[in-house]
Amino acid sequence: MSDSIALERQTMEVDIVCVGFGPAMGGFLTTLSRGLVREDGAPLHESRSAPGLPLQVICYERADDVAFGVSGVVTRARGIRATFPDLDPSEIPLAASVAREKLVYLLDPVGASRRSATLMLADRLIRACRRALPTEDEALVLPHIPSFLRKEGGLLLSLGQFTQWVGAKLMASGAVQIWPGTPVATPLIEEKRVVGVRLIDQGTDRHGNPEAGFMPGMDIRAALTVVGDGPVGPIGRQLDEHFGLPEGYHQREWAVGTKMVVDLREDVELEPGTVLHTFGYPEPEIFGFMYVYPDQVASVGIFVPSWFESPIRASYRYLQHWMLHPYLWRYLQGGRLRSWGAKTLQESGRRGEPHLAGDGYARIGEGSGSTNVLTGSGVDEAWTTGTLLAEGVLGLLREGQPFTKEHLERAYVERRRGSWLEAESRVAGRARDGFQRGVLTGLLGMAVAGLTRGKLAVPGDPTPPHARVPSAEAYYRGKISGEEIARIRDECASRGLSLHDALMERCGWPAIPYDGKLLVSHQDALLLGGKVQAPPGYADHVVFLYPHLCETCGTRICIETCSGQAITPGESGLPAFDREKCVHCGACLWSCSQPRPGDLERTNIEFRAGTGGLHSAEN
Amino acid sequence: MTTGYQIVVCGGIVPDPLQTLDPVANPAGPTIKNEMMLPAVLDPWAAHALYEAAHLAKATPGSKVWLVSLGPKAKLQQVMMTVAQKVPFELVALDGQAGGFTDTYEVAALLAGAIQAIPGLDRSRLLVFGGWESASRGAGATLQMVGERLHVLDQFQGVDRLAIAADGSFQILERIEGGRHQVSTCAGPPAVLGWATGSLPEPPNNSQVGMANMRTVMPALHRAKPAKVGAEGVTFARVSLPSQRRDTRIVKDLPVGEIAREIVAWITGA
Amino acid sequence: METLLFLAHVESDGSLATQAREALGAAREMADALSGAPLHVGVVGRDVAAAAGSIAGCGAARFLGVAGADFSQPRYASDAAAAEALCKAAAATVVIAPATSRWCRVLPGVAQRVGGRVDTHVTGISADGGAPSVTRWYYRQRMEATLTRAHRPWIIVLDPGCGAPWKGEAGAATVEVVPVKLSETCRRTTVTGVQAPPADQQTIRPDAGLLFVAGAGWTKTQPDGKVHAAEAAELILEFLRKAQASLGGSKSLVDLTGEGQAVLPFMTHLNQIGQTGATPRHPKGLSACCHGEEPHVVGWRFISERRAINLDPNCGWARGKADVLYVADAFAVLRRVNALLGEK
Repeated sequence: MSDSIALERQTMEVDIVCVGFGPAMGGFLTTLSRGLVREDGAPLHESRSAPGLPLQVICYERADDVAFGVSGVVTRARGIRATFPDLDPSEIPLAASVAREKLVYLLDPVGASRRSATLMLADRLIRACRRALPTEDEALVLPHIPSFLRKEGGLLLSLGQFTQWVGAKLMASGAVQIWPGTPVATPLIEEKRVVGVRLIDQGTDRHGNPEAGFMPGMDIRAALTVVGDGPVGPIGRQLDEHFGLPEGYHQREWAVGTKMVVDLREDVELEPGTVLHTFGYPEPEIFGFMYVYPDQVASVGIFVPSWFESPIRASYRYLQHWMLHPYLWRYLQGGRLRSWGAKTLQESGRRGEPHLAGDGYARIGEGSGSTNVLTGSGVDEAWTTGTLLAEGVLGLLREGQPFTKEHLERAYVERRRGSWLEAESRVAGRARDGFQRGVLTGLLGMAVAGLTRGKLAVPGDPTPPHARVPSAEAYYRGKISGEEIARIRDECASRGLSLHDALMERCGWPAIPYDGKLLVSHQDALLLGGKVQAPPGYADHVVFLYPHLCETCGTRICIETCSGQAITPGESGLPAFDREKCVHCGACLWSCSQPRPGDLERTNIEFRAGTGGLHSAEN
Repeated sequence: MTTGYQIVVCGGIVPDPLQTLDPVANPAGPTIKNEMMLPAVLDPWAAHALYEAAHLAKATPGSKVWLVSLGPKAKLQQVMMTVAQKVPFELVALDGQAGGFTDTYEVAALLAGAIQAIPGLDRSRLLVFGGWESASRGAGATLQMVGERLHVLDQFQGVDRLAIAADGSFQILERIEGGRHQVSTCAGPPAVLGWATGSLPEPPNNSQVGMANMRTVMPALHRAKPAKVGAEGVTFARVSLPSQRRDTRIVKDLPVGEIAREIVAWITGA
Repeated sequence: METLLFLAHVESDGSLATQAREALGAAREMADALSGAPLHVGVVGRDVAAAAGSIAGCGAARFLGVAGADFSQPRYASDAAAAEALCKAAAATVVIAPATSRWCRVLPGVAQRVGGRVDTHVTGISADGGAPSVTRWYYRQRMEATLTRAHRPWIIVLDPGCGAPWKGEAGAATVEVVPVKLSETCRRTTVTGVQAPPADQQTIRPDAGLLFVAGAGWTKTQPDGKVHAAEAAELILEFLRKAQASLGGSKSLVDLTGEGQAVLPFMTHLNQIGQTGATPRHPKGLSACCHGEEPHVVGWRFISERRAINLDPNCGWARGKADVLYVADAFAVLRRVNALLGEK
């Protein structure tokens, strides 16, 4: 043991090191790899790090497989189709062309939803006019879907299957290497230049101290570091901390998406390619989706946004209530859970865009602010950022130019500014601001922004999520007394449970009728649908930076919102974290109600590089 | 034994054992529903064998490890992205079906053929490793057949330990009934060892190992020949998941003392 | 017409194990169902006369034996040579043998040698429709298939506990000794003994009436926010001793052993049950602090009566899988159970 602990940290030189294999990196590596070889297969560019060999491009992915992304995707697929003009959806499992779209407003069939007076009035009107309106099963099907929300001619994808398909093509090309199961811990920054990355230490205890089999994470030095590790990725976030965001930019809007892949009953007649989007229930702030794939499979899920001012953003529980809504349950009843997952969405869009390039590095994908918050589209946009960067990088390689800030600005950032991506993200820029003032105002704001192509918007001032978390006492005022909340809190703490089930049921949410197939306990979903794993020998990646803030925290929303029940009540008020249950959704990172001392844009939770997570390839 | 061992590990890929598996009947025989969509891993027992092989090779200078694997090329490639970071080996790939319903006899024929085709193979240094069972067929039969085809008469199954003595002989611990181990000594290679879990933890991912392995893994995958494998002569009448759903009586809110009394009465048959 | 061979090895005391008698029962039934297909008996061991005599009344057409000091130890080379010789001497088309560790090591290789095929983990044999068929496991006891084979010889290795042991008259059996000459290359391996944990540390008891399955919950944070691994270890060991139970562990708990976490010191990979572990057979099973679903729960598929203790009433291990689920703190329950067992 002692000799292994004495191991020196090793260094490896490559030409381009990439962090995170998602759609953006898929776009980058696909475009790049095609430009690295001649038609006869001979390499076009010689490696500078390993002279005599072709350009050495290596990509590290945290998850145990390149297929473990979480997202039910409906996309116009313009960027993806530009890369694969002959794309045949039948080549990719679970892919289908969009056949029909519906936008549905869900009424509250149980009476437990928190609706404003205006919304309740609207609900009453809808119910009163239900013979005249297109209503069915406690839902109003909107007769018209605004063009900016439509995905006509687009694709339904399973992100896991899509990245697996892309990854296999890339590996077969032999031009690039992708290594899953290898989290990247930190960027290597020398003065103002990113010179590579450091991989995570292996063989440590949960605090990161060396143990038997310790192997310090290797330093991978590269002329170019491409960062596409998503909205909660540690490298992107550390670069943001180090270099700051451009003046006036911030990342204050987030959401957690929770989804399931479901085997539908044999007799459910839904055409593959059917897209349902819902709003209004289980809480007005929560949006839902159902995408129908071939072979009686559907992807269903909800988004719980950071502007849902509740101390219990319990997405798993809300997803179950959403599924039980009569409009959806008629399809889902008798179905079987195949897989389940959760992920954070960065919803600041253009306003959350970091510095896209600097000396030795470039940012792509969702973490680079590419998500279009008006059209609710992110995968194709992320893909496109990758292809744009690859085109720029190939140009610089041809010119023999180094990857400096100046060159990357010209080759990548300017290219991105001139693309459809930029034009559309400007339209979307302020589209969601109205949600800061309520759901109806938000919906109105989206319509205004969409219909005027971004010229007009309903104003709103996004505040950091931690400023939007009320105490349970304030949230439930008039429904549950302070004394009762205190009693429930004590009871739950003594049993190591989160509060949300008790509080929701006390407010009229019915207990979930578990059926062991689709409606299963949160714990069973982790095993049955998520196959969460955490290989031993790594440090905890969720860290409560200032324990005293947790001890005095009134809400502990991290426990309530945790998608994997990995954060639970712990000793003396400090939440306990169980790495084996974490699905790496990152909801705790932005949901935390405690601002970080000295940095009010961040919270008391740090989400570091970590291994494991979901083991499902079809999310 | 100054020249080291030639260790050939037979290791297939299987659906991640944690996944939900459903059989489906096809005209060509049963398969697993959505098999190509399920995450695949190197068979857990074969993985133990691979780690033991690498450990032994490292401790015995001049040794080399091959991994012979039969599976659909695309899936093999995917699994190798992870496995190749663990320990150094040279891949010998066979592009064919990896499911559990293929017959051991046919699989063994392919594996043995691939082993015999390894250039420079020296029987006097040969150790054939593998898992004693797999998470797919789970038969515990393939390695013995491979061994027979290679005329190796010293075979061990359920191996948890291999210790090399100074004279080059082995001591081997095999799992037998009742949580015990049978202890044997063997004069030396060639031998076939089907590993249980051994004693080594999963090695950490090592980028340098990965880079080095990839130089041979990708060409091996390109070279992989289509291998026809099935279960000729076998007719499956039925494949099903045993359903053993029980009506569970849930006892809530009973004092601990009462629960204990009930359990003791049940255990002791009182 | 099939020719059946029941293949067995003798135990160290010269007898036939129950498991061998189970396979004989299945072979006898098969022979009867195939309207009088001849059944031969083949026995391997140092001395096979007593074993053959103990099943003299099984109606075998011939008793064949390979005997001698060379065949006393469970060694691949000698066992394979013996089994091969017996298969050939009997001209068997169907060979039925018990899945002992000794036969599992060698019979697939024998199938290869005699140009046949093998099925292992067989749980049932039938001759419906006049042709032998078997039911066997695939995917580690997660799937069951019924199949027939065209190839002969066909070696069928029957899992323990899948049929009633043959019961019949002992007597004198005339054993035809099949000569097998071992070459020196067959003697490169020597079985030197058996290693077992000391009696007081024995946690695996195959013949126990009760299997106790411990889950990873034992080493997790308890309601007081602390881990009580040492107390868990004491409680479990005391329970195993008092109830004379066998110990199984869930994969997650066994894996913790290798991770330097709070663990039960006596838990090893040999205790692991489930998808990547054993599937032992006991009349009763009690699980505590287990969590999981199909791949794990497969570990107590062969437990007849099952009860579980878990704080989570919706736990997949218990619901639909156990007869009774006690929603309670396993530490508290086991403490009382141990006290009660102590009084008995």
